[in-house]
Amino acid sequence: MTKKEIFINSAFKENAIWSQILGICSALAVTNLMMNSLVMGLGVIFTLALSSSTISLIRDLIPKRVRMMVQTLIIASYVIIVDLILKAYMPQMSKALGPYIGLIITNCIIMGRAEAFAGKNPPLDSMIDGIGAGVGYTVVLMVIATIRELFGFGSLFGIQILGEWFTRWSIMVMAPSAFFVLAVLIWIIHGPIAAKVGK
Amino acid sequence: MAEAKSLRERRFYPVLFMIIITVIFVGLLATFYQLTRERVEAHRQMVLKTTILQLFELPTVDLQSTYDAYIQEKMLDGRPYYAAMDGDSLIGYCLPISGSGLWSTIHAMVAVSPQLDRIRKIEILEQNETPGLGGRITEEWFTGQFAGKMLVQSGTAVLFELITEDEPAGPMQINQITGATASSKAVVDMLYKEMSGFQQTLIQGAAQ
Repeated sequence: MTKKEIFINSAFKENAIWSQILGICSALAVTNLMMNSLVMGLGVIFTLALSSSTISLIRDLIPKRVRMMVQTLIIASYVIIVDLILKAYMPQMSKALGPYIGLIITNCIIMGRAEAFAGKNPPLDSMIDGIGAGVGYTVVLMVIATIRELFGFGSLFGIQILGEWFTRWSIMVMAPSAFFVLAVLIWIIHGPIAAKVGK
Repeated sequence: MAEAKSLRERRFYPVLFMIIITVIFVGLLATFYQLTRERVEAHRQMVLKTTILQLFELPTVDLQSTYDAYIQEKMLDGRPYYAAMDGDSLIGYCLPISGSGLWSTIHAMVAVSPQLDRIRKIEILEQNETPGLGGRITEEWFTGQFAGKMLVQSGTAVLFELITEDEPAGPMQINQITGATASSKAVVDMLYKEMSGFQQTLIQGAAQ
C-alpha cells in the first residue's frame, strides 16, 4: 500500500465510527458544540499520530503478553501531555473541554489502531494510519455536531445562525439525540452511499 | 541450552520491559508537568484575583497592585476568605463556596456586604454540568439574579425559591434554567448551606 492508500483506507474505508463502530462514546459526548468536536478531533489526531508511531517504533521490543499495558501507558502519557499543554497555553479551551481531553485515553480507536496497524507496520506508515483514523473520526464528529448545534442552539461554531423565531430543540443538546443522528448517518453511508460507490 | 536464551526470551523480560518503559514515560510526564506548572499556577492565581476584584467591581487593569491595595486574605477554620478594604472601611467579604452539582462539584465565589446579609455578586468558577443546559449556571443572566438579594430575612438565612425561567422573580425567588432544574437547585442549595455556615462561624468568632 502506498502512503496515500494507507490514509484513505484508515480514514474512510475502515472509518472508525461508521465502519468499525469504535469511539462511539466520545462521539456522543462532545458533539453538541462544533468547537468542542473540533478540538476533541485535533486532540485525537495528535494522540493517534504519536502513540501509533511510538508503538510501531518499539513493536519488536514489546513482549506480546503485556502489549496492552504498554499501549495504554503510552496513550495515557500523550493524552496527559495534550492536557498539560492546553492548560498552560490555551486555558480557555482547556476549561471549555474540561474532562473530555482526559477521556481521549479511553477512546477505543487509539488502541484499535495500535492493535490493528501500529503493532505490525513501520513507524511512518503507522503515523499516517493514525492521522487517517483521526481525520475520519473528526469528520464524523463535525457532521454530527453541525446538525446538533444547529438544531439545539440555532448556531454554528457559536455564531447564531437561526433567529429568535427558532425554538431550540433541547433534545439535540442531550446525548440521546447523538444516537439518532449517528444512526441515521451510518444508515445513509451503508445504504445509499455504499450502493453508489460500490462498497 | 539455558545459557543460549536471549534476554527477550527470559521470564523476567516483560517485567523488566514494563519497569523501563514506565520510568521513561513517567519521566517524560514529570518533565512536562514541571515545564508547565508555573504557567498553570500563575494562570490560576490570575483568574482567582481577577474574579475577586470583579466581584467587588474594582478595576482589573493593574491586577497585582489593585489586589494588594484592596484585598486582605484571611483564614477561617482552615478555609480562606477575602476581605475587601477601601482604606479603613470594609467594602465586603468574598468567599469560595462549593457544593455537589448534577455531575460533579461546583465551585463558586460569592461576595457579600460587610454585615453578611446581602449578596453583592456571585461567580461560578468551576463546574461540570451538562453543556448547554446545567452549564448555563455560569451565564450572567443566571448569576446576575443573585446580585443585591438579601441573604438574611428577619433573622434567618434565606433559601431561595426556584421558579420557571420566564416568571417575574420576587426578592426571595430565582429563575431556574429550563431543562436544568438540578443544577439550578445545586447553586441555590450550596449558597444557603455555605453562607449560613460562614455567617455563624464569623459571628461566633467576632463574639469571642
